[in-house]
Amino acid sequence: MSLPLLELRGIGKSYGGGWLRHRTRAVHDVSFTLETGRPEVFAIIGESGSGKSTLARMILNATAPGEGQILFRGRDLATIRRAADRRAFMQAVQPVFQNPFEAFNPLKRVDRYLYATAHHFTGAQGRVAQEAKADEALHKVGLSLAEIRGRFPHELSGGQLQRVAIARALIPGPALLVADEPVSMIDASLRMTVVNLFRRLRDELGVSIIYITHDLATAYYISDRIIIMQRGEVVEAGDARRVLMAPQHPYSILLRASVLSADPPEADAAEADAAEAGVPAQPWSPAGASLAARSGDVP
Amino acid sequence: MTEETMMLAPPRPTPALPAPVLSVEKLRAYYQMRFFGVTREVRAVDGITLQIGRNEIYGIAGESSSGKSSLIKTIARAIRPPLNVVDGSVRFDFGEGPADIYKLDPHALAAIRWRHLSYIMQGSMNVLNPVRRIRHSFLDFAFRHMHLPMPVFLQRVEGHLARLNLEPRVLNAYPHELSGGMRQRVTIALATVCRPAFIIADEPTTALDVVVQKSVLTMIRGIQQEMGSSVLFVTHDMAVHANLTDRLGIMYAGRLVEEAPTRSLLRRPLHPYTRHLVASLPRIGDDAPKAGLNGTPPSLAKPPPGCRFHPRCPLAMDICRTEAPPMEELLPGHRVACHAVRQELAS
Ligand SMILES: Nc1ncnc2c1ncn2[C@@H]1O[C@H](COP(=O)(O)OP(=O)(O)OP(=O)(O)O)[C@@H](O)[C@H]1O
Ligand SMILES: Nc1ncnc2c1ncn2[C@@H]1O[C@H](COP(=O)(O)OP(=O)(O)OP(=O)(O)O)[C@@H](O)[C@H]1O
Ligand code: SF4
Ligand SMILES: [Mg+2]
Ligand SMILES: [Mg+2]
Repeated sequence: MSLPLLELRGIGKSYGGGWLRHRTRAVHDVSFTLETGRPEVFAIIGESGSGKSTLARMILNATAPGEGQILFRGRDLATIRRAADRRAFMQAVQPVFQNPFEAFNPLKRVDRYLYATAHHFTGAQGRVAQEAKADEALHKVGLSLAEIRGRFPHELSGGQLQRVAIARALIPGPALLVADEPVSMIDASLRMTVVNLFRRLRDELGVSIIYITHDLATAYYISDRIIIMQRGEVVEAGDARRVLMAPQHPYSILLRASVLSADPPEADAAEADAAEAGVPAQPWSPAGASLAARSGDVP
Repeated sequence: MTEETMMLAPPRPTPALPAPVLSVEKLRAYYQMRFFGVTREVRAVDGITLQIGRNEIYGIAGESSSGKSSLIKTIARAIRPPLNVVDGSVRFDFGEGPADIYKLDPHALAAIRWRHLSYIMQGSMNVLNPVRRIRHSFLDFAFRHMHLPMPVFLQRVEGHLARLNLEPRVLNAYPHELSGGMRQRVTIALATVCRPAFIIADEPTTALDVVVQKSVLTMIRGIQQEMGSSVLFVTHDMAVHANLTDRLGIMYAGRLVEEAPTRSLLRRPLHPYTRHLVASLPRIGDDAPKAGLNGTPPSLAKPPPGCRFHPRCPLAMDICRTEAPPMEELLPGHRVACHAVRQELAS
């Protein structure tokens, strides 16, 4: 039996003093395990402020848990101190942060991040080799180096910046990607490109992905397992499809019921007008099939 | 399980447009940069015409980096070089006759900003002053303009925060002590506590869970109905459009390619790009594979000639490669810019 890829044992975290005047429990008693050799998309959804990003920061070893232990391939993250160990850990576990506007230094050109990551983790020497790595990663997310070369963060749109962040995380060839709301800033079509990319990373490269999101529909679409958090605690966990189709906990039920539908309900006036003007209700076959790349394909 | 589609008040029919609050006419705004004597232009807003009525919620969706934020920045006159208005006009009419926002003197502009216009930038949750408690941000931004005694003002602020599911004690917090979604709601509260006549919001609900998102949308619709305000709302979330906006415009490569009452647009999108966008939406319980759009997004520095969608369009014809399709009202209230759609509807 190989050691689990990631194991959280009773993780807790409190923030002291501050705005609440007394200690708040941001995360309380969270446990779960991702197995080695069984790559999966593990979704974390839940209330805003329920501790999802805090949990992500602890898994990335950027914040120490207040209680409990996090083991990566059997090793307690608290024991990872030496520079070489930290680097090995960071190569294996890569973040995509919630907010790309925050994640990039506004005074630094974004392509420099990619070159630095390529240099640091793949040993790519020289600009040509680094640019090749960067371009390859950018293509996986529907961008190219030509589009972003020399640009500062404010010169890119929110969606472009978020994709640069994902591309950067792919360069070291991680075993685990911790993606905190990676698609919240991008259009629906690109969202599918990115989640299909996650699926392909899982299926073809064996990468596990912790996918934090408020988008229940994409969570349903790609996740294997899911946990639902409220006020720092996991209130429901299980098979993603089962949990989302038939939630049991009152908060999960509320969450599921609050999902807005993009399908407009009743026929409306304009449609009646159109019918009168002799336009059939479905004048076109859905273009999706012919327009779209094959599912799972990455441009 | 049945989906509760219409928790918010149902969208009303498009209001009559004789006196729009906002009238954007052939607007062009480019990022203009000079490197060593070479000029580079990014045509982020390239010939956009639209009108927004009083009491109307107008939505904008479209491809990432198609120029949505640039457009609304330009509309709010919140631009600075290298983004410049190259052509066209932006006129607001708050009951005193239409005025071009780019022709106002600084004093008149400031007056409109505070009295009528509120703009929530994309990612604005990160511009909260990091070293000031949230309470101070409210005092800095809103207190002077509301002309209320302090206790009444604070009561108003707390009541407003409650509508967004935020406890009054967030006022004591520094921005970094709040989660992403909490900060996002704080910025929305800041921008709406004065109940402006025109609210411009760029992706204001991306960091929110769906329960909280619903309260934010209800609050925005509430203010809009109480005040008869107009709202210009940019989001990628088509479900939000379906439930909030009255009309929806779709942008692709710096241009508006389709515009219609939201429900007809979502039910029967006409433009090939919009049809792809709507078809790619995943749904809980739907196991069919969905895919993103083929090909790469167009460069706005060197956009494709003719219809900018032609390199990725399955219906592209010869004319598409040379002639840009005009934006035309092809069905009542439904504007589309596409040669194929026009031919199809004409025959
Ligand atoms: N540095 C800090 N100091 C004090 N409290 C903090 C700090 N960071 C986070 N918190 C609190 O911890 C709780 C969890 O925050 P976290 O960012 O993990 O939530 P989240 O689930 O990611 O929310 P969202 O969906 O809005 O991003 C919140 O109540 C937040 O206010
Ligand atoms: N300061 C700038 N200098 C040069 N180009 C810029 C600048 N800001 C934005 N751009 C470019 O203008 C184009 C439009 O950007 P904009 O932010 O308006 O897109 P958007 O539709 O809002 O995208 P998103 O949905 O990702 O937020 C993009 O190609 C972007 O790279
Ligand atoms: S004008 Fe031509 S290329 Fe453009 S969307 Fe219509 S059919 Fe496609
Ligand atoms: Mg978060
Ligand atoms: Mg934008």
